[in-house]
Amino acid sequence: MPSTDFFLHALMEFLFTTFKNTGRLMLASLHIFSRSKKKSGYCSLNNLKKNYRLACGAFAFSCTLSSCTKVIDIGLNDADKKYVIEGIVTDQQGTCMVKITQSANFSSANNFPVVTGATVTVKDGNGTPVTLIETIAGTYQSAALSGVSGHTYTLSVTINGKLFNAVSAMPQRVNLDSLYIQELTGFGNSTKYANILFRDPPGKGNAYRFIQYKNNRQNKSIFILNDDFSDGRVITTFLADFGNDDDADKIESGNTVRVELQCVDAAIYKYWYGLEQGGTGSSNNATPGNPVSNISGGALGYFSAHTVQFKTVIAP
Amino acid sequence: MTKTLFVLILFTALQTSAQQKHTISGTVRNKKTGESIIGATIKVLLTPEAITTNEYGFYSLTLPAGGYTLHVSHVGLNKLTKQISLDSNITTDLYLEEFTKELDEVVVRSINPGRSVTGTQMGVERLSIKEMKSIPQLFGERDPLKAIQLLPGIKSAGEGNSGIFVRGGAADQNLILLDEAPVYNASHLLGFFSTFNSDAIKDITVYKGGMPAQYGGRLSSVIDIRMNDGNNQDLSVSGGIGLISSKLNIEGPIQKDRSSFLLSGRTTYVDVFLKLSNDSSINSNALGFYDLNAKMNYTLGKKDRLFLSGYFGSDHLNAGGNFKLNWGNGTGTLRWNHIYNNRVFSNTSLIFSNYNYQIKVKNGANDVGIFSQIRDWNLKEEFQWNPGAAHKFRIGLNSIYHVLRPGDVTASGTSSFNNLIFQKRYSWENAAYFSDAWKLNEKFSLTYGARLSAFSILGKGDFYNIDNDGRITDTIRVADGKIYKTYFNLEPRLAVSYMLNNTSSVKASFVRNTQYLHLISNSTSANPTDKWVGSTNNIKPEISDQVSIGYYRDIADGKYELTAEAYYKSMQRQIDYRDGSDVTDPDALETQLLYGKGRAYGVEILMRKKSGRLTGWLSYTLSKTEKKINGINNNQWYNARQDRTHDIAIVGAYQLNKKWTVSANWIYYTGDAVSFPSGKYSVNNATYFYYTERNGYRMPTYHRLDVGATKLLKTRKRFSSELSFSLYNAYGRENAYTISFRDNKDDPTRTEAVQTALFRFVPSISYNFKF
Repeated sequence: MPSTDFFLHALMEFLFTTFKNTGRLMLASLHIFSRSKKKSGYCSLNNLKKNYRLACGAFAFSCTLSSCTKVIDIGLNDADKKYVIEGIVTDQQGTCMVKITQSANFSSANNFPVVTGATVTVKDGNGTPVTLIETIAGTYQSAALSGVSGHTYTLSVTINGKLFNAVSAMPQRVNLDSLYIQELTGFGNSTKYANILFRDPPGKGNAYRFIQYKNNRQNKSIFILNDDFSDGRVITTFLADFGNDDDADKIESGNTVRVELQCVDAAIYKYWYGLEQGGTGSSNNATPGNPVSNISGGALGYFSAHTVQFKTVIAP
Repeated sequence: MTKTLFVLILFTALQTSAQQKHTISGTVRNKKTGESIIGATIKVLLTPEAITTNEYGFYSLTLPAGGYTLHVSHVGLNKLTKQISLDSNITTDLYLEEFTKELDEVVVRSINPGRSVTGTQMGVERLSIKEMKSIPQLFGERDPLKAIQLLPGIKSAGEGNSGIFVRGGAADQNLILLDEAPVYNASHLLGFFSTFNSDAIKDITVYKGGMPAQYGGRLSSVIDIRMNDGNNQDLSVSGGIGLISSKLNIEGPIQKDRSSFLLSGRTTYVDVFLKLSNDSSINSNALGFYDLNAKMNYTLGKKDRLFLSGYFGSDHLNAGGNFKLNWGNGTGTLRWNHIYNNRVFSNTSLIFSNYNYQIKVKNGANDVGIFSQIRDWNLKEEFQWNPGAAHKFRIGLNSIYHVLRPGDVTASGTSSFNNLIFQKRYSWENAAYFSDAWKLNEKFSLTYGARLSAFSILGKGDFYNIDNDGRITDTIRVADGKIYKTYFNLEPRLAVSYMLNNTSSVKASFVRNTQYLHLISNSTSANPTDKWVGSTNNIKPEISDQVSIGYYRDIADGKYELTAEAYYKSMQRQIDYRDGSDVTDPDALETQLLYGKGRAYGVEILMRKKSGRLTGWLSYTLSKTEKKINGINNNQWYNARQDRTHDIAIVGAYQLNKKWTVSANWIYYTGDAVSFPSGKYSVNNATYFYYTERNGYRMPTYHRLDVGATKLLKTRKRFSSELSFSLYNAYGRENAYTISFRDNKDDPTRTEAVQTALFRFVPSISYNFKF
């Protein structure tokens, strides 16, 4: 189903899980009344009262249905530390970068240890490997290397004698034609979303990843799309992650919204798809798990050769 | 095997001709409504003979010539004592009277024995609608599928979820039949309710093990739901008004004693609230369902009876016109009972079954629709032959033609999507079966039988050869009308029972089941959009073998009943996903799947109080369910998602006086197996979670108390009504519905586990009437 398209998928997930999670499905109406009351001060409940004496009782009743969310302690096990390699080669000069960190226990703080002193090389096709220089602790870069569509790149990382390899092919560039902000209304909410428009080239196999920035702050949600159901179409889609309730990502009038379009290969699409499905800690997936990485040797992370393009718009 | 059967049949035939015997046969009915009664017990006094009526209320009893006294009984009805003098064959209908409400003393209720000490059938649970009505439930809805989850071995998939796990089986391994028609998605309102309206239902029987040979096609259970036939004596109207939905039921004779009809409808009214709003962002939303059960039956003569029954249900969800989802089941059954002679009963059924969903998305330039459907045409023919008291034969055929439409995508010219029609899948499922319930002597009974099932994959369609890494290596084109492949499976069914004394018995059984249709779903809850797929060259039929043993005992003159069963089930060709699988493309679905085996075992204990002011039961299940699939969990055994160690339910109803009945149930179970992270890492500047073993953790323990009370209101000559109150989760326990992991919002340097609980203290009130 076009639920591969994150728009549909996200919307469905939103409807099925958010509604269940809030436990207000049965009285969705009253749920909305209570929300609109909060938001605008307009009490539609009064309207109800006039028409239906039971409304107040029902409203109180709906409150008992409200879901309860609380932080709990479930004593998760510790696991052996894994290396996490994030490598990119783009079609822009000086953007080739590999970041190496380590995983941490759930109970530890979110400062993930960086891995220094690794040997990192990137090779274009059968060319000579280019060694990346550790510019900041744990970050390895090459100013000279820039990628070309159609070429295949090989990443080699050696950490304390352990070797990790990955291959990624840079796809052809697809032009991001337009970016605009659109407001979407549904279930009593009105939210602004970034909309993008581009033409998918004929022939299946194109895959895209989008990164959204608001006032130069990156939205951490994963936005991906492939052309399984949209091959050769003009694609308009909006970047929505209903699971993201971070107000800092909400687009408001006057915000500068920037969207990066990456054309990625199938393995990288699968990586982001798997990460989004299984790695976010959300409870929607019955069997969460680690995404399939294109790095061999047992490291987490990915190596992506992709094209990049940016567009910026001020939210109306 | 076949040889043995032949000898047995021959032996039986010889035995029956040795003595002068006569047969009494007919139908057991409710005197007031004319409804036939399923599973009514007929005991022949001073002999060990005891039989039960079949699914159409038909009975046939062959005895040596002479005078007998019959005791006919069924739950909620007065026992009938009938003297017969059997000097020739007799055909007679037996009528049971209802308890009269006018009795001065408190009515002493009697609960149907779910499992009986006698007979070989084990692993069966039966719930009468009467019994079910006293159980307090969420929103006061009397949901049969929720009620059976209080019985041992039948587990709920969680709050607000219609999924059922029977003896460690997955939710799709239950064959849910409504008047013999398979129901593919038995949920309303995304799983909060089931599609079964208790007003229209006569009987619900669940087979967890030892399935009789006439059932097949699913591994774990058969949930056989039979609709009422309709009152053939008087026109009667009943209904109920509840918080969420209301219902109305009309039934009556078309021709008294000969034919009747039933019409039962139910609808929600959440939408009404939405429409009251002036705000277009609210009043353009909709959410709800309705369903309709209809049935007609006609007696053509002494020997023939026709039944036409149907179900139609539909759910709708509309989010501001941007997103619309409709789904629903439709079933139709045409049945013809024919009595060849007083020992041979036959039934022919033509069954239609349909499930479909439709999604419409409209947003800016995008205007997309998706339609998916599963449709069956099904023909069944069965003969039941009762040559004498010692044997009861069943022989039958079943043929189902399945058409699965995984999805048709239609998009407007400006949409981002192509018009796509995924391959329709055609298949033909056939089965022939035979069984004999043989009473060897007073103590020893044996039921043996077999089911030969076949599944043919038909063209037109493309099939794929797939390598170990899930890549398509080859495409096989199958032309229209051609059979691509046929799977055959022989499923032996065997059950024995031994009476230890008059009140206790031991039983053992073996059953093999095969499943040819599979549900592919990776969400925590059952969604209307979950996909059913047929077996292909890659997805092989699932097979399960189950052995079970049991101990059954009546205590205190049948007031109490104790049952203990233990089972071991081994399952082959179980399906799971590859890591990071994308299951959205129905054509290439098989590239995302892995296959392996499973095992489930456990002990179930049920203690029931069947009569008196206080009735109810205590059920306990201890169980384990595991899977082993290469490519998952380092190829080691792992807990299935539905694995749950302890499960306890206490259900009770107490009749205070003529007017008031109070009831309560308490549920306790230890957490299901679940995958939680064992670490975290950073990618793309965000925190993600690292998983080590599949389902290696447990959800927190769940427990809950529900209480209810029913008051019988003033009863006039024909009119009676009652008020029901219930409180769900009476002590407001916050049971974990989900647990998720995220960065702490106030301190982003930490991560936290967050539990979401659903319902606490849900009161409800409903009013039911009948005239």
